[in-house]
Amino acid sequence: MVEQTQEYKPSIQPSEEGRVLPSGEREFFFDVSTSDLEVNMGPQHPATHGVMRVLLRTDGELVTGAQPHLGYLHRGAEKIGENVEWLQYLPYTDRYDYLAAMNNNLGYSLAVEALMPGLEIPRRATLIRTICAELNRIASHLIAFGTYGLDIGAFTPFFYAFREREWIQALFEKICGARLTYSYIRIGGVFNEAPPGWLKEVEHFCDVFEEKWKEYYDLLALNHIFVMRTKDIGVITPEMAYDFGLTGPMLRGSGIDFDLRRDMPYMDYTEIWEAGAYQIPLGSGEKGTLGDCWDRFDVRVKEMIESIKIVRYCLGVIEPGPVLGDVPKVIKVPPGEAYVGIENPRGELGHYSHSDGGKVAVRCRVRGPSFVNLAVLEDLMPGTLLADSVAIIGSTDIVVGETDR
Amino acid sequence: MDFKAIYDHLRAVDAPGLIEADEPRLPDKETKDKGRSGMPFVRIEPASFVDFLLVCRDDPKLTFELLVDLTASDPAADDENLWVLVQLLSVKHKHRLAVKAYLPKSSASIPSATAVYRAAQWHERECGEMYGITFVGHPDPRNILLPDDWVGYPMRKDYEFPKEYHGVSCE
Repeated sequence: MVEQTQEYKPSIQPSEEGRVLPSGEREFFFDVSTSDLEVNMGPQHPATHGVMRVLLRTDGELVTGAQPHLGYLHRGAEKIGENVEWLQYLPYTDRYDYLAAMNNNLGYSLAVEALMPGLEIPRRATLIRTICAELNRIASHLIAFGTYGLDIGAFTPFFYAFREREWIQALFEKICGARLTYSYIRIGGVFNEAPPGWLKEVEHFCDVFEEKWKEYYDLLALNHIFVMRTKDIGVITPEMAYDFGLTGPMLRGSGIDFDLRRDMPYMDYTEIWEAGAYQIPLGSGEKGTLGDCWDRFDVRVKEMIESIKIVRYCLGVIEPGPVLGDVPKVIKVPPGEAYVGIENPRGELGHYSHSDGGKVAVRCRVRGPSFVNLAVLEDLMPGTLLADSVAIIGSTDIVVGETDR
Repeated sequence: MDFKAIYDHLRAVDAPGLIEADEPRLPDKETKDKGRSGMPFVRIEPASFVDFLLVCRDDPKLTFELLVDLTASDPAADDENLWVLVQLLSVKHKHRLAVKAYLPKSSASIPSATAVYRAAQWHERECGEMYGITFVGHPDPRNILLPDDWVGYPMRKDYEFPKEYHGVSCE
């Protein structure tokens, strides 16, 4: 896997001039010529979180270039969307960002509903959608939290994160029968009514999670070794974030106050914001530089607790009622084009749907946040140390199912 | 700003290449027009693509800092045009703009937006391999999701699925 691009010539010669250390000792440098190496990180590297390859060009411990190579998981989701009926495409949406399938279902459903002006979504359905989307955001950020620790060498938080994620999966299993690919939020509302007592269980989860969250934050985010590994590394300036079109925690980690839930609201997020139920965490450069790996990680971890607050608000106002609007078995979508972007755990998930009035879409575009956020790697990596490259890739929090679609 | 105000402002500053606004309309039985739902677009000339984006990014009343999405679409197999669709987003003013350009299928070529927004770089690579659109001035126009030796443009409506790939039958 390691390819030597130049002939290696050891020429270890102590330089004549040394450096006087504060202790008074003399330190000599050695002129060691280290030829450029091209190292394939992946496709089966644990830190790439899926089948992705980063071609690193290294000079000793220094990374001088990085080029991500994608496409190992390309399944042609957009082409499939042009060949199956509107509702049949829903299960495919589960499979791009498989850690946040509820959010994908929601984004697709909203994009199709934008073309159906006559369709009314019941209030209860909207609230259940919000609860599921926010719970799924917590589950997704728990993975980001756990695996980021794992990448850097902290093993324990991973197991704690998976314990809580398991609980969320069990909740989802109760409501829709699936643990990872839900297809629960569908065009017109949600698939079925929540089972009796489900909302109570969600409330119980919120109570327990709030306590646990504080422990996790102290355990990993404020851990000295972790902070030293992530602060001042992979700094994304606000200008760079704009230029690369970053969204979600990657944008907010650079201190830019923008969240689609508040600023371009969909569903009932305006009402929740106006009720003062949640805040939007921003990167502050608290531990190092604004926009470093720690800031992005911090935004994700703090977002979990904000999601809990949103869930609590929804649990407070939810009332009995229907959960699915008046949609026929075979959905015919009126002609038109719509682009709907929602706040996924990783950023803006955009769906562009184009209908000519038939049973099948003309175009079914998916704008995956991971795909866009990954592009920044080419600029972020040069000049860092090889050991930090893992920290930088981990901080972009990509899901390869979404970059490749 | 809402779409109407953005469009009026683009007219007022004489944005290069602006052709028309394409807004949703109700169906009309007399003219047998099926109507259109969804969201409004502005249509621009492909040749002034970069200049138009520069105005969108730098005008103080618009300030579209983010190029959220750049994609293409093939509306029908017998249609003579491909569409290039761009979604812009302003963080400061909290508004969006959808931009559309028509490219003839016989010579689908448009200037690259990478000089204005680097976010366009990967999107353009994807459009290039999927639709066969040439982005003039793109720094790195390789395939991104497909293998380098892929034949044809898979997202075009007249694409024929391959019978075999490297000696492996696909049927």
